Amino acid sequence: MTDVRGCNIPEDLYYWVEKHAWVRDDGSGEITVGITDVAQHLAARVVAITTKKVGKVLERGQSVATVESGKWVGPVPAPVDGEITAVNTDLAADPTLVNSDPYGAGWIVRIRPSSWDAQKDELAAGAPGVASYAAFLEAEGISCS
Amino acid sequence: MHGADVPIRLLDLGTVAPLRSQTIYHAVGYAMTNGAPDTIMIVSPDAPYVSIGRHQDVDREVDRAVCADLGLSIIRREIGGGAVYLDGDQLFTQWIFAAERLPATVEARFTLYCDTLVQAYRALGIEAAYRPVNDIHVNGRKIGGTGAARMDRAEVVVGSLMFDFDIGTMARVLKVPSEKFRDKVHQTLSEYMTTMRRELGEAPDRQVVLDAYIAACSAALGRRIEPGTLRDDEIALAERLDERFGSLEWLEDGGGLRRAGVRIHEGVRVAEGATKARGGMIRCVAVIRDDTLDDVAFSGDFTARPADVPEGLAGTLVGCAVEENALHERVAAFYEQVRPETPGVTEHDWVTAILQATSTTVPA
Repeated sequence: MTDVRGCNIPEDLYYWVEKHAWVRDDGSGEITVGITDVAQHLAARVVAITTKKVGKVLERGQSVATVESGKWVGPVPAPVDGEITAVNTDLAADPTLVNSDPYGAGWIVRIRPSSWDAQKDELAAGAPGVASYAAFLEAEGISCS
Repeated sequence: MHGADVPIRLLDLGTVAPLRSQTIYHAVGYAMTNGAPDTIMIVSPDAPYVSIGRHQDVDREVDRAVCADLGLSIIRREIGGGAVYLDGDQLFTQWIFAAERLPATVEARFTLYCDTLVQAYRALGIEAAYRPVNDIHVNGRKIGGTGAARMDRAEVVVGSLMFDFDIGTMARVLKVPSEKFRDKVHQTLSEYMTTMRRELGEAPDRQVVLDAYIAACSAALGRRIEPGTLRDDEIALAERLDERFGSLEWLEDGGGLRRAGVRIHEGVRVAEGATKARGGMIRCVAVIRDDTLDDVAFSGDFTARPADVPEGLAGTLVGCAVEENALHERVAAFYEQVRPETPGVTEHDWVTAILQATSTTVPA
């Protein structure tokens, strides 16, 4: 775990920093997408999540899901172009999984990217990625404590 | 914050059609471009309607047949929260701001937004107070509702200034498990909601209210607020959203948010539960206020002598903490005093029915 201003920002993930979305590439040809510890902290307790359906083809930036917490609704943007191959059905019964385990049981969708090699460079990754996320949080005055 | 020295655009749209009263702030949110001004929009619907939250299941939350009979359209919004009856007695106050010019956390945005409503009410002589996360109360009664959403680069926060509220129609349009439950919702709304008319004896003049609100916003945000007009691209987007928001497909989308009960305000909810006892079904409708039973009613096909056992037992439970041992003590004391005959229904069964009702959570 990498602690940044009280937020957990693991180094082994890709990030779309401004959107507070993460991507895990396990080398299978599909990626896993979720919202970061920062996002769940800003939103507070999540009460509902609606995901797009499996098979939906999205461009980077289009919403893969909407999250509701305390009467606030926000989108989860697709970090890359691709097709949704799986959605986390556990979230229907317990949407707070994105609060309690945002990088694990709280994953939201899996996507088969159409141009991962080209688009992954647009995401922050590794130690430099965490550093850029830290700089963003610093500039925005955001912390998780 | 970048751009905070730019005046806020005030859009006073007067009254518009119900559908447009929802789509217009979505359009301004999604049409916000880099460098566009923040907007405070003031609008009322020119006819009553029902709005449901982004993730609500319309058939679970709203009685569509009643709405049809009353001529009320049902419109899903991209804002969270629950089903609500809206009409021209509510002045919608919608903020559409660049995300970086509002606080980062949802709670902090609600705090700022609600404070402007509180200050406006106070300027009108109403002792309003903010109750976190997003309620405004007057002596324990809620006045108006709020909600929020992210729309591309805009953070949107919406709410209303309540001139009056039609509690009867609100209670009619909600889908509820029983008429007893509906009566309890109506009664609880009457007890725990208020309006400017109720507080002041009569509804104040719209312009007076608007002036108080804009002054409160300018003071809280530390920015000038200047009248403006909608851009052509915003109107064009609203027209496109009219189609989407008016479609059956959009109305029947969503459905992830389950509300086992009706939340009246932050501390008060109405809920129903049931248990199958050996002697019959016991249904319990409960009003819970800050984890205490504010009201409770039993019904079902059980047998009880004397006949007023359900009412008598309910009366002894008012004020009891919603906690198993405390409930057991009250029920046992009632049985000890009244010595009722309830064949096949034990003291434990009453407590189970109450806990079935009160253990449900109403998230928004």
